[in-house]
Amino acid sequence: MNLPDYEFLSAPLWLVTVLHLLTFTLHLVAMNFLLGGVIIVLHAAVRRRWDDPTLAKFARLFPSATAATVTLGVAPLLFLQLVFPRQMYSAAAVSGWFWMGVIAAVITAYYALYRAAFKAQATGKVSKLALAVALIGLLYVSLVYSSVFSMAEQPDQIHNLYARNQTGLVWNPAAGDYALRWLHMVLGAVTVGGFFVGLIGRDNAEVFATGKTFFVGGMVAAAMAGMAYLLSLQAWLSAFMRTPAISALGVGILLSLGSLHFFFKKKFWPAGAMLFVSMLTMVFARHTVRLLKLAPQFDPATWRIAPQWSPFLMFLVCFVVMLAVLVWMLRMFFGSKKSAA
Amino acid sequence: MNYPFWDEPMGYGVLMAVIAVFHVFVSHFAIGGGLYMVVSERIARKAGDTKRLKFIEKLSKFFVLVTLVAGALTGVGIWFVIGLINPAATEALIHNYVWGWATEWTFFVVEIASAILYFYGWKRMAARDHMIIGWIYFVFAWLSLVVINGIITFMLTPGQWLATGDFWDGFFNPTYWPSLVMRTGVCGMLAGLYALLVASRIEPGDFKARMVRYSAGWGIVGLVVTAVCEYWYWKAIPAAVVEKALQIMPTPIHSIEYSVWLAMGIGALLVVFGVLAPRKLSSPAAALLMVLGLVWFGCFEWFRESIRKPYVITGYMYGNGVELAKADRYKKEGYLAQLAFKTGDDGADLFRHACRSCHTLDGYKALKPAFDGTDRAFIAAIIRSAHLLRGNMPQFLGKPEEAEKIADYLYQRMDKRPLDEVYGLQGVELGRKAYALRCGKCHVLGAASDKSKSFAGQSADDLNSMLNAAADMGEGMPAYTGGAKERAGLVAFLEQLGKGVKK
Ligand code: HEC
Ligand code: HEC
Repeated sequence: MNLPDYEFLSAPLWLVTVLHLLTFTLHLVAMNFLLGGVIIVLHAAVRRRWDDPTLAKFARLFPSATAATVTLGVAPLLFLQLVFPRQMYSAAAVSGWFWMGVIAAVITAYYALYRAAFKAQATGKVSKLALAVALIGLLYVSLVYSSVFSMAEQPDQIHNLYARNQTGLVWNPAAGDYALRWLHMVLGAVTVGGFFVGLIGRDNAEVFATGKTFFVGGMVAAAMAGMAYLLSLQAWLSAFMRTPAISALGVGILLSLGSLHFFFKKKFWPAGAMLFVSMLTMVFARHTVRLLKLAPQFDPATWRIAPQWSPFLMFLVCFVVMLAVLVWMLRMFFGSKKSAA
Repeated sequence: MNYPFWDEPMGYGVLMAVIAVFHVFVSHFAIGGGLYMVVSERIARKAGDTKRLKFIEKLSKFFVLVTLVAGALTGVGIWFVIGLINPAATEALIHNYVWGWATEWTFFVVEIASAILYFYGWKRMAARDHMIIGWIYFVFAWLSLVVINGIITFMLTPGQWLATGDFWDGFFNPTYWPSLVMRTGVCGMLAGLYALLVASRIEPGDFKARMVRYSAGWGIVGLVVTAVCEYWYWKAIPAAVVEKALQIMPTPIHSIEYSVWLAMGIGALLVVFGVLAPRKLSSPAAALLMVLGLVWFGCFEWFRESIRKPYVITGYMYGNGVELAKADRYKKEGYLAQLAFKTGDDGADLFRHACRSCHTLDGYKALKPAFDGTDRAFIAAIIRSAHLLRGNMPQFLGKPEEAEKIADYLYQRMDKRPLDEVYGLQGVELGRKAYALRCGKCHVLGAASDKSKSFAGQSADDLNSMLNAAADMGEGMPAYTGGAKERAGLVAFLEQLGKGVKK
């Protein structure tokens, strides 16, 4: 019997990669706003930096930010599984319970943030406890992702770990591989969170100052963690230096500085655009490291390509419709006035 | 077998059920509830009925909390789970349907965004704009069903895809349309049942009666659509699958029977409380209706999942991830040669990859009760003949010595006392147990392979020599390897069967 084979990509690899990296960057924007935002707002609440109405205003944004983070995370995870199924599922299976725990953690964080938002709405006060619970949930997710995705880049390690323990309770022991990478991600989130805090609080000197502090401080710290991570790549570093990713990264760093410049002048459009493009370059660099690490075992370019153009066209049309409907709805939402009934 | 095996004690069936059952309810409710809300909002606004409007606004808060958070995340959760418990199938599905999933994602984004705007829009949007957002929500939520339905139904009835490998052949497969219309009906029904639950708590009066009657209408229309489509769906499943299920698969058949009874019960309650006596609907009654609705839908989903056995994708991949296309390779090279991840314990590895995705030792679909008090040779024979057992299992495609390795592994974990000691049974009762364990899994009494007639008029000696020759009686039938006491009991029981005594 000649049954259809499923080991193929239904679009050229470059196309899948573009979609993957683009949607992942979008996910990062939302995730950074959420994680960085929660950290900064919690900090402001504990240190009593902001007044209650300001804190409440921010607390009410987080549930929607969570929705955006989750929703925008689905697409890149889909493309990741499409191109790297062996690596992804194997790493996830070895850490099965931790991996499933992500769902529980996100649900917990989500409800905690809703609680904080409703309380802020009703009483004008922000619940530090709820924010702290949410933060713990989000940090859990970040740790699991760093652990699992870094394990996925080292298939040999997965084999060894699995041979010793099959219960799905394996936590990636090679912390050296991902501690700095994780730190860089979290600090990056604080940076971008600082940007958003400054943007939303642009008319409030206190809030803008906080945003500025975290934007600048986060960027310096994230850059240092990022550099340290690159250096820790050791053997891969020299290979990395020979890829286009290193130039992209250079451009990205310049763009972040440019973003700072415009941010100080409260020109948020160019600042935001530069920040976004610099995040794209870093996502590209991250992707390059993954390919380098996997190269001895697996090269995605070896996938057989069997395009499914008509389903792809369906996706493309729906994607455009999605963007159009989103814009239309948002304009309607912000433009609509409830008549005095 | 390219993946490690996540050896969790609960059993994959339970794990999947816990998340999937919840998600499937919430996701259908999310669609129907959306429609219920905009339609009701429109009616209320037209009538200038502020009480009703407030009622819907209150409903939408809960709605958003449940669908956005729990609904969306358990959906992601299912995806996480299937990647863990059946990575090969997930890989196959994603590679064939990535653009389907990506399309669904675009709908999902709009669905989530519009739900949020609808919820926050009560306070700030003009009536017309608010309702437009509501409609967008419903349309996109339903569109995501339109897409995912293609992938879910594909797994049971891949249809022409098996020959062509074409995206659309698999997508618009034989059960696509009945399933889509049916699920749409389910959405409406669950929305009605939920609204009834909320309406039952309104203080008694005309308003309550009106809301109850209206919500019950949703339930009844949804139920009728669903019931008709369930029949249509049943007819769309290939005859061979249905026939096999009727013969040897009690689980799906019972599920579908229950679902018919439950549907009738729900229909009766809806007519009594919704149409005849809407004022009398109490919260417990509404809760009962809701529970019945969920159980009913659960039965259907259980049916759909279990009638697909032994496949995860019918005619393409078994539940344990073995691809039919590679069957010859498995037979030739053996199972172990296909395992990418090994632990050094061959028996355990083989057991995990061949059996463990459907069975546990002593939890869900436990094997201990099937093998306690039996012997190693018997276990090995059953493994080799797994496809002959009731329940519809995949064929064990490994080499005979690999079956022995699994048998070793299992036998070490069984109760090794003789059967009479394990269960404290004697005589015919011991024989009944022996029959259940050693014969009844292939020769189900009262079903197609019932051999009771062969025992008619046989003496104990005849039956003993029959047992001696057991291994030669049919391709795959195990030799009889039980001890003397068990054998005497079995012979006594077979004599009874021959005499037509069933109980
Ligand atoms: C695709 C899923 C699947 C796989 C793989 C599978 N089984 Fe089963 N098995 C079933 C189902 C379904 C039943 C019926 C159980 C029921 O109806 O309660 C069953 C029944 C059994 C029974 C009879 C249990 C009883 O008490 O009636 C035994 C014994 C058994 N399986 C052993 C095995 C062994 C050994 C393997 C591995 C070689 C295996 N199965 C692989 C699904 C599977
Ligand atoms: C693994 C499945 C399996 C088990 C377990 C099994 N059998 Fe069978 N048996 C078969 C098959 C296959 C045949 C031949 C096909 C047929 O007649 O249905 C068969 C045939 C028979 C026949 C009919 C032979 C004939 O020529 O008409 C009898 C009688 C019988 N089995 C008795 C038993 C008894 C008694 C036991 C328990 C000790 C038993 N079987 C256990 C699979 C099994």
